[in-house]
Amino acid sequence: MSLDNLDLVVVGAGPAGMAAAIGARESGVQRVLILERAEQIGGLLHQCIHNGFGLQYYKEDLTGPEYAHRMAGRVADLGIDVLTECMVTGISPDHVVSAVTRKHGYVKLKPKGVVLSMGCRERTRDAIGIPGTRPAGVLTAGTAQRYINVEGYLPGRKVVILGSGDVGMIMARRLTLEGARVVAVLEILPYVGGLIRNEVQCIHDFGIPLLLSHTITDIHGQRHIEAVTIAKVDERMQPIPETSRVLECDALLLSVGLIPENELSLSAGVVLDPRTGGPLVTETRQTSVAGIFAAGNVAHVHDLVDNVSLEGELAGVNAARLALGDELPRAGIRLVPGENIRYVVPQTISGKNDVTIYVRVKRPEQKVRMKAGQFFEKALRVVEPGVMVKLDIASRYLRSIPEGTEEIVVDCVPRTEGQSV
Amino acid sequence: MSEEHHVRCIVCPLGCLVRVVVDDHGAVESVDGHQCKDGKKYALDEYKNPVRVLTATVLTAASSIPLLSVRSSRPIPKARLLESMRVLARVTVKPPVRAGDVIIPRLLGTDADLVATADLQDDHNVI
Repeated sequence: MSLDNLDLVVVGAGPAGMAAAIGARESGVQRVLILERAEQIGGLLHQCIHNGFGLQYYKEDLTGPEYAHRMAGRVADLGIDVLTECMVTGISPDHVVSAVTRKHGYVKLKPKGVVLSMGCRERTRDAIGIPGTRPAGVLTAGTAQRYINVEGYLPGRKVVILGSGDVGMIMARRLTLEGARVVAVLEILPYVGGLIRNEVQCIHDFGIPLLLSHTITDIHGQRHIEAVTIAKVDERMQPIPETSRVLECDALLLSVGLIPENELSLSAGVVLDPRTGGPLVTETRQTSVAGIFAAGNVAHVHDLVDNVSLEGELAGVNAARLALGDELPRAGIRLVPGENIRYVVPQTISGKNDVTIYVRVKRPEQKVRMKAGQFFEKALRVVEPGVMVKLDIASRYLRSIPEGTEEIVVDCVPRTEGQSV
Repeated sequence: MSEEHHVRCIVCPLGCLVRVVVDDHGAVESVDGHQCKDGKKYALDEYKNPVRVLTATVLTAASSIPLLSVRSSRPIPKARLLESMRVLARVTVKPPVRAGDVIIPRLLGTDADLVATADLQDDHNVI
């Protein structure tokens, strides 16, 4: 493996990075190198031992390790170089990638292009500010997942889970199967955060109490957690004191959201979107810095790995085009979040090509129309924040956009009577 | 006397609560509460035979990698998940294992095998 004359460096070998490298290699660039901090490639997939991965991308119901195995197999078949135990410490706007590696020590790479695919990290107790003591036994759901599924430790036998995101619900099932008792899953919002499949198969299947509109107001225990105080919240999400009660537990798992991991992006001067927490990207997944692309959870937090890989592939293909001397379309049209829309990715499009846009709504709503300006709309029976909406917009719809249009507002609006799905 | 069963549909985020009414012999008399035909089919299947893919881990005899991830090769009856876990708790696998290898054939006499979902070598490379 040579570290010189690289066409593309991919930072992170999870489902986005592997797919980016595969996409780039299949597009004809020769010198692709994936940098990975861990000892093996695959990222978080290794600890996600449950199934439900790959239904779209591989048309099969795979577990996380199987998905990783399959994609890593393709990386190997294509002869893509991988440098594991390599921690990228900085990226400059002109693509100098600095890294510390077990094999080569400190290195500076100068590839033609870079794909950012560092993924995301979990919000912690500090991010949501739960009062109380600071005992052991309070951990994020993903950390607990690693303990249970990879390292072989059970973090508790009487567990409270805060947050009804998918990881939290999946851990409720894992803990139950491993013999622990899940005392309750609490959700501050009046609806479940994750997928309905997980609510049914992880919570209801095992009769686990699910308390909506509830939160934790205190943590008890000096050395190790002993209990939490919980309370119902009002419409403004403020705890109602008279509903307080104490739940004994020996572990508290937090499943309270994910944050795209963008320290390296910032070092490269990449501009972030405050709505997604990830880089502003065009339809090619190029960031604000020429030659630097971003895909997967680094760009915005996904609920399905399949979309992570599709985005990675897109970034890889376009990074390859640029490295081979092609010109990428100028993305002059901004997609702006409107009514009941939290964010839209990509944030800019050219208006010339077929494009898939990912939309996250702010609140659940039934019988809606998703609209992009005046030229595209799609009726949906239901939308909710935990389920990303994917809109495939064919270029024939885009032809009606007037020349010189600078922005298009994306709205989620109620459907008027008489319209059918 | 007919009996009512309720099934939460997972086909889409609407999560309809579908009511399945059956007679004394367990024959379905009516289904309502669903909003699409996929939901009706799901509710009937889920009422008649609720099945799930079991995913878990088993202990390994490898020094550096304590656990091997496993799954049932096909869904098994939901009611047998916890019973299956007690069988898995008694298993220790020796490397090498390849993803897809059968760890326990015909788990609890079902038509599903317990299979490895990752490779297990006696070093750090578990891909």
